[in-house]
Amino acid sequence: MRTLRRLFARLRAWTGTASDEARLRAEIDEHVALITEEHIKDGLSPLEARRQALLQFGAIEAIKESYRDQRTFTSVETLIQDIRHALRRLLMAPTFSVATVLTLALGIGATTSIFSLVNAVLLKSLPVASPRELYRLGRQSRCCYLGGYSQDKEFSLVSYELYEYLRDNSQGFAELAAFPSAQLLFGVRRAGEVDAARSYPGEFVSGNYFSMFGIRPYAGRVLTPEDDKDGALPAAVISYRTWQQRFGTDPSVIGGIFAFNGTPVTVVGVTPPGFFGDTLRVMPPDFFLPLHAEPLVESASDLRKYDTHWLQLIGRIRADATPSAVEARLRVALKQWLRAHWEEMSAVDRAKFPEQTVFLGPGGAGITSMREQYGEWLLILWTVTGFVLLIVCANVAGLMLVRGLERRRQVSMAIALGARLARVIREPLIESLLLSVAGGAAGVAIAFGGTRLLLQLAFPSLPGFAGVPIDAAPSSAVLLFAFATSVATGIAFGTAPAWMAARVDPVEALRGSTRATARAGSLSRKALVVAQTALSLLLLSAAGLLTTALQHLEHQPLGFDPDGRLVVKMNPQLAGYRSDKLPPLYRRIRDSIDAVPGVSGVALCLFSPPDGGWSTSVWIDGRPTPGPRDTLHSSWNRVSAEYFDVVGTRIVKGRGISQLDTPTSPKVAVVSEAFARQFFGGDDPIGRHFGRTSRSGREFEIVGVAEDARYFSPSIGGPAAPMYFLPEAQADYSQTSLGSLFLHDIVIATRPGVRVSEKAVRDAMASADPGLPLTFVSTLRDQVSNQYPQQRLIARLTSFFALVSLVLVSVGLYGVTAHNAASRTNEIGVRIALGATRGQVVLLVLRGAFGLVVVGLCVALPLTFVVGRLLTSQLYGTDPDSLLVTVGAALALGVSAFVAALAPAIHASVMPPWVALRGD
Amino acid sequence: MVLRTLDLLGPLHGYAIAKRIGQISGDVLAVNQGTLYPVLLRLEQEGAIASEWGVSENNRKARYYRLTRGGRRRLKAETEGWEQTAAIVTRFFAIKPEDLK
Repeated sequence: MRTLRRLFARLRAWTGTASDEARLRAEIDEHVALITEEHIKDGLSPLEARRQALLQFGAIEAIKESYRDQRTFTSVETLIQDIRHALRRLLMAPTFSVATVLTLALGIGATTSIFSLVNAVLLKSLPVASPRELYRLGRQSRCCYLGGYSQDKEFSLVSYELYEYLRDNSQGFAELAAFPSAQLLFGVRRAGEVDAARSYPGEFVSGNYFSMFGIRPYAGRVLTPEDDKDGALPAAVISYRTWQQRFGTDPSVIGGIFAFNGTPVTVVGVTPPGFFGDTLRVMPPDFFLPLHAEPLVESASDLRKYDTHWLQLIGRIRADATPSAVEARLRVALKQWLRAHWEEMSAVDRAKFPEQTVFLGPGGAGITSMREQYGEWLLILWTVTGFVLLIVCANVAGLMLVRGLERRRQVSMAIALGARLARVIREPLIESLLLSVAGGAAGVAIAFGGTRLLLQLAFPSLPGFAGVPIDAAPSSAVLLFAFATSVATGIAFGTAPAWMAARVDPVEALRGSTRATARAGSLSRKALVVAQTALSLLLLSAAGLLTTALQHLEHQPLGFDPDGRLVVKMNPQLAGYRSDKLPPLYRRIRDSIDAVPGVSGVALCLFSPPDGGWSTSVWIDGRPTPGPRDTLHSSWNRVSAEYFDVVGTRIVKGRGISQLDTPTSPKVAVVSEAFARQFFGGDDPIGRHFGRTSRSGREFEIVGVAEDARYFSPSIGGPAAPMYFLPEAQADYSQTSLGSLFLHDIVIATRPGVRVSEKAVRDAMASADPGLPLTFVSTLRDQVSNQYPQQRLIARLTSFFALVSLVLVSVGLYGVTAHNAASRTNEIGVRIALGATRGQVVLLVLRGAFGLVVVGLCVALPLTFVVGRLLTSQLYGTDPDSLLVTVGAALALGVSAFVAALAPAIHASVMPPWVALRGD
Repeated sequence: MVLRTLDLLGPLHGYAIAKRIGQISGDVLAVNQGTLYPVLLRLEQEGAIASEWGVSENNRKARYYRLTRGGRRRLKAETEGWEQTAAIVTRFFAIKPEDLK
């Protein structure tokens, strides 16, 4: 109560008038006068009486100050005064202020834009109700289809039957929803439209998917378990983004009929804005369909295959259940389900039965494949920008120190006059904070643009697709981060000048010479330059290492020739092709592209390098049945005749796949060198047989061995995986539901020196079938480079930041050298007067500057080696010549330091000695 | 002390308060008289005293402080509090070992 009343009184006084001040003065005057009178009565002289009175009263100014403190909120008042003062002083030095704010904006902007990605990819939960209650099956993200009854380490993908079993036999989940791990594309056409079908990413989800996430429809309704039943009318939900961007929020979309891969489906509702499904990914689903629509829409259905595991599970746990209890129940249920399928299990599966288990992990962030894929890269980039920010701090601190030096006399005068230390220290700190907050505000603007650019570079979206659902606009978390960074930065670079201000000796004000004071400040400035040099060298060599590693990666022996080749990707499945219509389509495509001028060869395949392949088991004819733990898998590719010539893969032994391989000729295969090594050791594989199941060991005869090529393996130096190639002409097109019949890549070899335009290729494809959706046309070289978008992004960004740091260090060094040279003007004048040559003066100044750089290099070199080794071995599995790179980085730094220091050195040397001597 | 002084002697100006406090304490509390003013201000802000301009005994303009009702209440409360504290402390000093047996 009392405090409250006081607070009001203070507030009143604060808004009130200056008359209080007059009242105080009058009261004090009166008081002193009364004491003086008393003393005069006691017989003292008037002068002595007044002196005694003043002594008795105490320090008038200090009492006034504490009276003012009592009266109102002095701290707030002086804070505003100080801020005003600091602003005025900054406006008086516009060049300094603008340069500092820009430098800071760069540092803070870079850190913030990486943070917004870190936030979106690594920190954020899904935009769903109470994400903390969600748990997912499995700790690692897997893709896409796993067969059999055993999975390595953990059972994380399940078949539809297993999903139903787990859902019904694990109490504890309020809802347990299922959806495929693989990303699906639908060819979607609105009923009544004449245009060709367009590809949209989509997803099949269990009926309780939306209620599990707590997602309410934006318009219409979401899917319910009623939709996810045999015989239910096929229904779909469209994402808000697609509804808005593709259909202009047309209300007639809801209730409209759309053909999905040819099957009519009713769109019943729109998901809320911001919802992007269960997984943060580059192409989030535009349409959600019930799982039971899968057999209707997909030509090769997996819904009823109980040993094909392709679904992922996320469930909302009940309030009264604990995850560990649910996990235990799930483990029991899995074992029971496997037991029930004991008859169908292979020997391998049975041997692995005891170790089959499941893990339950937090599911609030959904399926975190992006987190696993990008986490490391983002953290590295974040570290890099953190380094840049540190350099920026050191740089600005250097500038602030110079300002501090200029203000020394003023500060010492203020202290001599009785200024409180706290206020003297506060002043440079406030100035720093103002600068850094302004820098932070500009940084947020930079971050906004930067995040946009980063999103495009890091997650390139295919033309015609919407792209990653990360908003570049700064969220509250990002703004908070930027603000916190600015304040931390301000304190970081403001401390040094504040500390210096605190150490000012009031006597210096009276002494009047600046010469004696130069030392202390210059030591900390030197330390700052050393720190900047060290950090910059780290950045430079990291950038060099990453760039060379990327070049190694892109120019590694590929096992095919990426130059002079084009790749076209199509999707006959989306155009509604049934498998028996495929061979004529392939023939038409080959013929029409072959007719394009400049084309020397064309081949179709399931996968063109360096994309991956499908995997099967391999049983070699005439070998004893292998043990359950032997690796028996190989990836494979279906290719048309002359494929090896067209991609430029050498045939090491035997022959490639040719026109001789027809549906009626013996079934053949070409294997890779790695395949031959793994399954035949030193033996000659030509003429041997293998099959894909234990009962069909004589399925294919090996007619050739091809050079190892890079399919599927992004790291250099890693061993090539075994692979075998089957002729397209010998495929069994009567198996209508076989996905591998749909070849989607076309490789085109062009004649040397001829450029075949993309348009010519598109036209040729259109003449084969105008309704065929093409998803991608590019050169094979680009396809190789695009394998490493993250590596490229990180190498480029690090190089960019390293250059920025180089500039900053040079500027910093220039500042220090110029300042040192200026403060040694007298000394230099004397030297020149005594006969020193210009060269000697230049050397003198350069020596000072270079000393710092050398110290910085010495500090950083050992670190550089450690960091370089860590970085490259972790990211590329190899160690490029880090010594050369580091030496190069050190040289670059040395040269720019030399240039930066040369100007002030020459300036000092051409100064006429009389100017120098006149000095102070 | 300020409150008690005002309670005893009625409205006084700053100098008189300082002088009386010195007098009552037997000149033991001869602190800088100026420090009185921030204290007066605080008491005024808390509503324990009020002040107005008046004319002093030798015809000078002076600011007179007087006790308010709230101040009287507070003085009473603080007097009781102090007496209690003093009594407790006194008892501790007065006690002898045999009293505790």
